[in-house]
Amino acid sequence: MADETFDLAGCLDRVRARDQNAARALVEHLYPLVIRIVRSHLPRRVAEEDLAQDIFLKMFTRLDQYKGAVAFSHWVSRIAVTTCIDQLRAQKRRPEFRWADLSEKEADVLDSVLTSEGDVAVNDGVAARELVYKLLDELKPQDRLVLQLLDLEQRSVAEISASTGWNPSLVKVRAFRARAKLKKLFEELQRKERS
Amino acid sequence: MKDFESRWENLVRAARQAPVSEDVTIPYGFATRVAARALAGESRPVWLAVCGRFSARALWVACLLVVASAAANYLAFAGGEDEEQSLLDPVSEVLSNS
Repeated sequence: MADETFDLAGCLDRVRARDQNAARALVEHLYPLVIRIVRSHLPRRVAEEDLAQDIFLKMFTRLDQYKGAVAFSHWVSRIAVTTCIDQLRAQKRRPEFRWADLSEKEADVLDSVLTSEGDVAVNDGVAARELVYKLLDELKPQDRLVLQLLDLEQRSVAEISASTGWNPSLVKVRAFRARAKLKKLFEELQRKERS
Repeated sequence: MKDFESRWENLVRAARQAPVSEDVTIPYGFATRVAARALAGESRPVWLAVCGRFSARALWVACLLVVASAAANYLAFAGGEDEEQSLLDPVSEVLSNS
């Protein structure tokens, strides 16, 4: 968060006393943190602003439960992450991954990853990112989250543990399980011919 | 697939190079709207929220119990009616005795 001079403790006290200006200041202060989490875990077909609003409303509802045991930003991060997971879980149906649903560039990237040994061309970064999201969409929300944080955002197990509240062993188990599922998906895709 | 790990790493390495939107400017009016909604919503007592949360589940459980008990007692109801009718009908009683 950019504003180092922000008096968080004072602001929280005023919010608890139902000061609307303090509540607004708190939202403004936390918005960059929340929107980054929302953007990286945004379920498809959900507007980022709606999800951010849900997260803030939950935060205010549970504010009395915050006892200061962890940093406030970590506490808010956990609310944000669990809200995103709940949204992903609500979209129960995960469509089957098909070659036909990929754009031309995404299909090229996948083809290259599955068949060649070399690196994917750097200028295919956007297509690669879209493809990774589509592949991750095939996983359960928690598994998806772990791989996204670990592999895509290169967070450490300790950081993931802090922002999700899961213990480090659970993070590692979920990552292992998620990679096994992805491996199966890769094998299936390799068997199916690109149309 | 033997070298899945390296292929996956190859893919995410490429994905990491894609530009990510860094614009974290808060939309106009967002903070005011959220703050107003949050403080308006807080006036609802906690017990009411808890009741609301559980009442929907309780309703489903009650419906399930009604259906289950109706199914379990269906035969008893169906059979019981005939028996009751024959008890109240003296003619059928006489005929069945003769």
